[in-house]
Amino acid sequence: MSYFFQIVVSGMVVGSIYALAALGLVLVYKSSRVANFAHGQIIAAGAFITFYLTTTVGIPIFFSFLASMVITFFLAMSVERIFLRRLIGEPIISVIMVTIGLASIIDGLIYLTPFGTENFSFPPFLPQDPLSLGGVSISWTQLVGMIITFIMIGGFSWFFKKSTVGISMRAVSDDQFGSMSVGISVPRVFGLAWATAGLSAAAAGCIIGNITGLNFDTLHAFGIVVFPVVILGGLDSILGAVVAGIIMGLIQQFASGYLDGNWGLNGTGDVMPYVILLIILLFKPHGLFGIHEIERV
Amino acid sequence: MSTNQWLATGNFNTAYQQEQRNFLTHLDRSIFSIFLILLYVWIPLMDLSNKYMLVVDNILIAIVAVMGLNLVTGFAGLISIGHAAFVGIGAYTVASFCQVIGDRHIIITHFWPVMIVISGFVGAAFGAVVGLPALRLKHLYLAIATLSFQMIFQWVINFMSFFNQGQTIFVGRVFWFTGKVGRKDHYMFWYFVILTIVVILGFGIRNLLKTKYGRCLVAVRDNDRAADAMGMNPGLTKVYAFALAGFFAGVAGALHAYVYRGVGFESFTLHESVGYLAMAIVGGLGTLNGSFWGPTALKYLDLQVEHLSEVAGQYLPSTMNLSTAMKPFTFGLVIVLFLMFEPRGIANWWRIAKSYTKLWPFRY
Repeated sequence: MSYFFQIVVSGMVVGSIYALAALGLVLVYKSSRVANFAHGQIIAAGAFITFYLTTTVGIPIFFSFLASMVITFFLAMSVERIFLRRLIGEPIISVIMVTIGLASIIDGLIYLTPFGTENFSFPPFLPQDPLSLGGVSISWTQLVGMIITFIMIGGFSWFFKKSTVGISMRAVSDDQFGSMSVGISVPRVFGLAWATAGLSAAAAGCIIGNITGLNFDTLHAFGIVVFPVVILGGLDSILGAVVAGIIMGLIQQFASGYLDGNWGLNGTGDVMPYVILLIILLFKPHGLFGIHEIERV
Repeated sequence: MSTNQWLATGNFNTAYQQEQRNFLTHLDRSIFSIFLILLYVWIPLMDLSNKYMLVVDNILIAIVAVMGLNLVTGFAGLISIGHAAFVGIGAYTVASFCQVIGDRHIIITHFWPVMIVISGFVGAAFGAVVGLPALRLKHLYLAIATLSFQMIFQWVINFMSFFNQGQTIFVGRVFWFTGKVGRKDHYMFWYFVILTIVVILGFGIRNLLKTKYGRCLVAVRDNDRAADAMGMNPGLTKVYAFALAGFFAGVAGALHAYVYRGVGFESFTLHESVGYLAMAIVGGLGTLNGSFWGPTALKYLDLQVEHLSEVAGQYLPSTMNLSTAMKPFTFGLVIVLFLMFEPRGIANWWRIAKSYTKLWPFRY
């Protein structure tokens, strides 16, 4: 039974990371209807900036965490300004391909640095021995990562529900012309959406980097695996992203916990999200919390 | 017909049959024929080394695959981020035949045209199945569905021992009327074969687009509900677009298997899918000649970048692997620049050049 609870706990940890990573994607999609395929690269960039600031520059890790969030905030904002602002109103394939191109450019830039090929790990700053509760163990990094994740998700929910900027973002996602007519600067909202997505990506990158170690391939793979999560949650819902993230984390951990090794299977944890995604898309195309779009000819 | 068949400066069609012709003027036809003859004669005369012949073959294979992708993404407007998986299915059809009957069996070596066609049809069958979500999904959701097909394909290939877990499965050398195609002639031989296939498939697409079925694709892309109201069947059209794309990809995959004389999983990853999509976009989505420009331009760019980074790498510390960094960087930069400044691709330059020469010396 403790094996079961162990899997539940690790599923929750993985799921909350997925939720945080998915959050950035949802933020961008919600306001500007752009599916950001470069999200994984921004996550990786955030993690590497934190690592660089901590080890080479020598800033305490907490402050470099904040600093990298600020840097990616402006980085993502300038990405939006330079590349995506021109593509407002273009067909969806162009927008998708621009983000894929961006991902490729960031790949190239990161491969120029040692981070592209080598493995690093954050200097330990939390107690090393895992916390044990009735046979279920959880490491301090996982626990702290999960707590930070939930604080950030709570903060973003508050931001969207209560703050003026958040409300204007929701207004833009609902109706661009309508929000223009009440004096909301739509391009500025797009920029802010990207910036907040960059911020959350940096946070996700740091937490993932602390748990799994800094490897570029693992980090930027999160940008792809996060798509099943957001589709399951229904592309434009923050609550959906959180719920779907945790569901996906649990599914993945259960798959690799119970299926791997039996019947000669292995690596099912990697493929399960996509199988679930295809099934969901066939039966409930708009996800758990997505909005049904009504089309008119 | 009364108009000048050689130097017409506009369209003077008086009947629908005239619009159905493959070449509008004699000039078009002769330019095309000369170009085609040059392609058959010039490359062998160049006497390229095997390394460059492989690049040329690669370009042609990519052209076959991108023609299929252009049908589904360009003409039918259904974004597919899983095209490399379809190519992989074609290649693994040949590979599984090799696994079952041995890689030097007569069916593999002598009846390779049959194998190529079979791979095409297997690809089409998978395309139709993967196209089924297109009945309910659109735009981004559909793109993600094809993406998940790509991921599942990769996992299956890496997992199943029948497919050698993604390691290379060998394919035997083929025979022609003159006997076994040897190491020296291998790439040249396949150059002619693939070029012929490209010409046949190119005319196939061109004629398809003039029929009811081809126009259906474009109508469904522009507005599927309006197409529905006009009596077309959008669901069937979408599935059939995916099946067509699967056929082209299957053929390309079989050719890939034969040219490389082996099938390994790393040629059919998500990265390759994105590459095909980029080729289609750089060439020009929804144009036939774009499917030729795109692969040529991007593969040539790749080759040049490799050269450049080799030269530049001598002046840099050896710890920096410039080649791995420059390839994705230039690739991404080209996509982004094209989408920002020339979203209609190289085909648009071709169109401009054509209309300019057609009306010369007049401006319009």
